[in-house]
Amino acid sequence: MTQSRRYWIPSVAFCAVLVTGGLAAWAETVYVQAKTAQLRSGKTSLDAVVGNVKYGDALDVIGRDGSWVEVKTAAGAKGWIFSNKTSSTKPSGTNDTLARLGHSMRGGDASATTASAGARGLDKASEGYADRTGVSARDRDAVDRMTAYQIADQEVEEFLREGGLGEYAK
Amino acid sequence: MRNNHVVAASLFALSLTVAGCAEVQRAGEDIARQSGNPRLAGAIHGVGNVVGSLFPIGYEEESSIGQAMALQVVARYGGVVDQPELVRYVNLVARAVANTSDRPDIPYRVAILEHDSINAFAAPAGYIFVTRGLLKQVRNEAELAAVLGHEIAHVSQKHILDIIQRSKRLAGVTEAGLSYATSNPAAFKNVIDGAVKKLLDEGLDQGKEMEADTIGEIFAARVGYDPEAYVGLLTRLRELKGDDRALFKTHPNFSARIEAVQKTIQGKHLAPTGVILQERFSRMTKRV
Repeated sequence: MTQSRRYWIPSVAFCAVLVTGGLAAWAETVYVQAKTAQLRSGKTSLDAVVGNVKYGDALDVIGRDGSWVEVKTAAGAKGWIFSNKTSSTKPSGTNDTLARLGHSMRGGDASATTASAGARGLDKASEGYADRTGVSARDRDAVDRMTAYQIADQEVEEFLREGGLGEYAK
Repeated sequence: MRNNHVVAASLFALSLTVAGCAEVQRAGEDIARQSGNPRLAGAIHGVGNVVGSLFPIGYEEESSIGQAMALQVVARYGGVVDQPELVRYVNLVARAVANTSDRPDIPYRVAILEHDSINAFAAPAGYIFVTRGLLKQVRNEAELAAVLGHEIAHVSQKHILDIIQRSKRLAGVTEAGLSYATSNPAAFKNVIDGAVKKLLDEGLDQGKEMEADTIGEIFAARVGYDPEAYVGLLTRLRELKGDDRALFKTHPNFSARIEAVQKTIQGKHLAPTGVILQERFSRMTKRV
């Protein structure tokens, strides 16, 4: 009896460690699948924003309710995120390691902008292409402006809110 | 002797690939050059380019391709519409859809082509075009979101890049490396001309178009637009153009597309939301 108790206590402790560790290993992780996203104190778009996360961030899932997921960030911040802004698989990203390596090995500078172009402008390759194909100054300017065209994230958010889209759905 | 150089260079480049170290490749070139063996340096460089061409195209190169293609699209379609409010609205719809797409981390920009044909295109790196003629056929924001979702899907799935990488035309170019666009502009022009021909004249294959319909429909639904809206637009276009002549002359016929979209709605359980935003669309596009 004494001997069995001697083994019983460590066995329970060992199992507890296994279960705890196992649960931790099985904890669900989601990734931010939007350019940016907000964490809110509750599961509606009317709840206060308690944090911001960005594309590719890993989040531990605490719970789910309808279109919202309660999560914890790597830094420990907790909040609710709109489920359509998350993915169960890690996004590969635009310039993954293989692509960067390939570009490096090909050794090019195709995207360097022309010196005359200033902060925006056609890159050298496109400028050369335009020269060789006789693209007019008007059309070059159109693509130049298109390339430089920007809309602030906040404007997009306001557009969604006005339209009752995304997390602002009524 | 020459064969030995090539074998040595190949092994060296391969080892660099495995090691993932382009810096070492350049160091190898320098050492070979300094030791009076320019041929070996050239071989290492050349083999490095070939090996490098086997890797996916990164965003910087994609951007060069997209920009050059955009020049050709704008030139062929007679320029772009200069109505800032309208352009801003179309771009906002695109951003709304793109932000929760499978590739939200690149800039998407939409230009409206000054053309009465009913058409839309996407070049790599997020260069998207819709014609004025197409906008005239669209009746609400949900339909526009579905059209833009289709084009965003072409970008997110890298359909054009896939074609470029597979093309035999490019096979002759990759030895010089696509990034040599500035030092080998004739080769770059061949690549772009081939891709533009595919995009504007020959069309992508039907599988890619169907995939863009399916994925674009999901992108638009994710942000809350009513998924039935796209069916409405395609049905109307079928009535307008008939099934013998597809909307975009190279696309699958409308009946097949409508059926595929309906299957997506059912299979992916895309719930009707009723959000079509007709009033906002009419207000913002009244000068189309």
